[in-house]
Amino acid sequence: MGCGGRALTTQSEIDGQQEDERPIPKIVAATKPSRRVGERIVQSSLVQSAAGRSRPMLSRVAEAMYWMSRYVERAEHIARIVLVNSHMLIDLGELAPDMQEKQWLGVLRILRLDQRAEVQESLLAGKPLIGQHVSDFMANESNRSLISALTKARENARSIRENISTEMWETLNTLYWSLLGDDVKQRFEECPEEVFHSVIMGSLLFQGVSDQTLPHSQSWQFIQLAKYLERADMICRIVDTNFDILQSSGDFCETPLRNIQWMGVLRSCCSIEAYRRKYIGDMDPLNLAAFLLLDGESPRNVRYSVKAAQEAIAGIADSVHPQDLDSAERILGRLCARLEFAEMSELTGSSLKGFLNKIQLSLHEASSAIENAYFLH
Amino acid sequence: MFNQYQLNGIFDEMFEAQDVPRPHYESVFGQLAELSSSAFQRRRRMADLSFRNQGITFTVYNDDNGVERIFPFDLVPRIVPASEWTMIERGLEQRITALNMFCHDVYHDQRILREGIVPPELIYSAQMFRREMIHVNVPNNIYIHVCGTDLIRDKDGNYLVLEDNGRTPSGVSYVLENRAIMKRVFPALFASYRVRSIEDYPYNLLQCLKELAQYRVDDPTIVVLTPGIFNSAYYEHSFLARQMGVELVEGKDLIVDNNFVYMRTTAGLRRVDVIYRRLDDDFLDPLCFRGDSILGVPGLMTVYRCGNVALANAVGTGVCDDKAVYPYVPAMIKFYLSQDPILKNVHTYNCQDTSDCNYVLENLNKLVVKSTNGSGGYGMLMGHISTKEEQDEFAAKIKSDPRNFIAQPIVELSQHPSLVADHFEGRRIDLRPYILYGKKPIVMQGGLTRVALEEGSLVVNSSQGGGSKDTWVVEDVR
Repeated sequence: MGCGGRALTTQSEIDGQQEDERPIPKIVAATKPSRRVGERIVQSSLVQSAAGRSRPMLSRVAEAMYWMSRYVERAEHIARIVLVNSHMLIDLGELAPDMQEKQWLGVLRILRLDQRAEVQESLLAGKPLIGQHVSDFMANESNRSLISALTKARENARSIRENISTEMWETLNTLYWSLLGDDVKQRFEECPEEVFHSVIMGSLLFQGVSDQTLPHSQSWQFIQLAKYLERADMICRIVDTNFDILQSSGDFCETPLRNIQWMGVLRSCCSIEAYRRKYIGDMDPLNLAAFLLLDGESPRNVRYSVKAAQEAIAGIADSVHPQDLDSAERILGRLCARLEFAEMSELTGSSLKGFLNKIQLSLHEASSAIENAYFLH
Repeated sequence: MFNQYQLNGIFDEMFEAQDVPRPHYESVFGQLAELSSSAFQRRRRMADLSFRNQGITFTVYNDDNGVERIFPFDLVPRIVPASEWTMIERGLEQRITALNMFCHDVYHDQRILREGIVPPELIYSAQMFRREMIHVNVPNNIYIHVCGTDLIRDKDGNYLVLEDNGRTPSGVSYVLENRAIMKRVFPALFASYRVRSIEDYPYNLLQCLKELAQYRVDDPTIVVLTPGIFNSAYYEHSFLARQMGVELVEGKDLIVDNNFVYMRTTAGLRRVDVIYRRLDDDFLDPLCFRGDSILGVPGLMTVYRCGNVALANAVGTGVCDDKAVYPYVPAMIKFYLSQDPILKNVHTYNCQDTSDCNYVLENLNKLVVKSTNGSGGYGMLMGHISTKEEQDEFAAKIKSDPRNFIAQPIVELSQHPSLVADHFEGRRIDLRPYILYGKKPIVMQGGLTRVALEEGSLVVNSSQGGGSKDTWVVEDVR
């Protein structure tokens, strides 16, 4: 597969150990795998003559651009998932008290926090895992919280300040400071919704500003690539986790409750309005999975995201090495075909899980291929 | 807001006598005097917010409250009339020309040493004298391409040179950003003045760097080399790269191969022709200088000495920054240019000289003692406010290593109105103009005015809690 990465096979590896964090920058440059310098020079001289119009981009800059974008997208998803769940649980409330815990545990699983020591501890201690707990956690600075995602997005942006537009930087920096001001603790206590909402809107603003202020060349394409890979991965995780929860609760849930939960899944993917218009509000699990995974029109589903990521990597590859087919491009192209020509039977019952696993595996392979081809010179 | 303003018996930039503004300050004074305190405060908050949201910050070391800080900005502009500026400009051009000739001489024929104008032992004992540069030819024989010279004004308003920064002077981004913010929050103040523009600085800097390219002159690859995001001046490095439209690189982005420097890009390696480095000599190349540095590029010096890459500023310019070499600058001007210095030095006692040293030791309470390689206001003794213990400590240091210390009489810096709480008070200021030297010297039409925000303090460095002001060079009013 040419990406040099190890193949992942089991679900636990996908869930737990997948490398979706930017590796901590290594202080000593010499620890990066060294290549024979001569090879590269020959290669690059070919490239420069063929792609003279586009300016080469520092590998470090490309990497920071990529992670900046992934972390902004991630912050948006974190904010939305926590927000949607708090709202949903107000509705479920008295009706199904035991759903509270299940649902929050689901949120933690989506955010890959369920294996964390403090979460495990509070589960073992029998403490109820309530929304406030999760909200609080998101507001502190520990790894994988909302604040931490935004901090990393901004740190990456700061390290490539001269490569992004002033408007992009100011949007992100203002959002960052709005969450780190002295009053943020109070804002979280008084109205967490307002804070989460501001992050969602901030991320959308950032994306719009990026589209309209940055030339649509390599930098922009790395931003698109990262954004859509993160989004595709997040949607897979949301669908996977929620279908698990709903299936495991069996007939126990009455239809009204189920509908509320299905709507929660759509809201978590920012897709409820689009879904309603397409299926006139009918909450059918198969339609729902098809809509979130296979719809080609809504920018909030997996197929669209993978297609967009594939286009971005194709653009990058074309300006960097037009003669060779990029290995990430190949992986994403195959995945695209699989999503485009999927059969509905692949989404029913137990086959859905396998289908989602394969998608996530390909996404992971694509990330490693990108890292190997563009960041590790 | 000027009600409690005191002239304090020193040179005041705005007032020639109590309540009588100098002609070039009349309009600014008139507008500020009419402004209510709350209106002024509102503008100040706008400015602060603007700085923060734009991320115009510097990093303070050893600070528990986070590392990023806003450089305190004082909204009252400092005004220099064009007639005064012409003199400053000519003085600075003369000075940088002589310093560049001195660098070339020191690393080649050493006429100035052989003729006994500057003592050779002073140069050879300078920490920043670089043997590696002897007989190395640099493009156009220019060593200092970017210089930030610190000027102060004495009791009578005479401009004096306090020090030359010929290594990697910083602060120019604040000059440009201060102006942008002033235009945003106080546009009315500009109305009755013709303020000279400073916006062409990045363009001039880029031209100056282009002139350094030896090969591929038509399309050289120019980069700014930064120590990284944790450096206190990181914002400025990024700012300049952005303003010039060139790549900002860290040491790890560069690699030396086959006697050329390359940067690592997504499309493989790409050759680099000119490096505007914002990294001290010491950290530039671990194979040549400090072996424990991971900020630089191994092998860079070899490429540089072959002329396959150009550096700005050149390696070895620190020899001019040595505070014990500074007293000889007027002599250099005479020696190389046969001219009298236009800008005067502050009188300086060289502790290496026995009689000077004795004078210094006897008069520690009246002098400022500085270590010859210190900067940023560190390693200094302000005699008049020091304790006996501090004086004894410095006396011991001077005795053990006289080469490393100089002393100067305490100069009462000029003062300028600054906002303190809800009114204006006089605070001490200095001025750092920036000079570029490509094929000829170009002085930026403005500069960084730094303010000592503590009452009575004479130390303006940002690392010591100083702030800054927008600095206007204005066409003469009358």
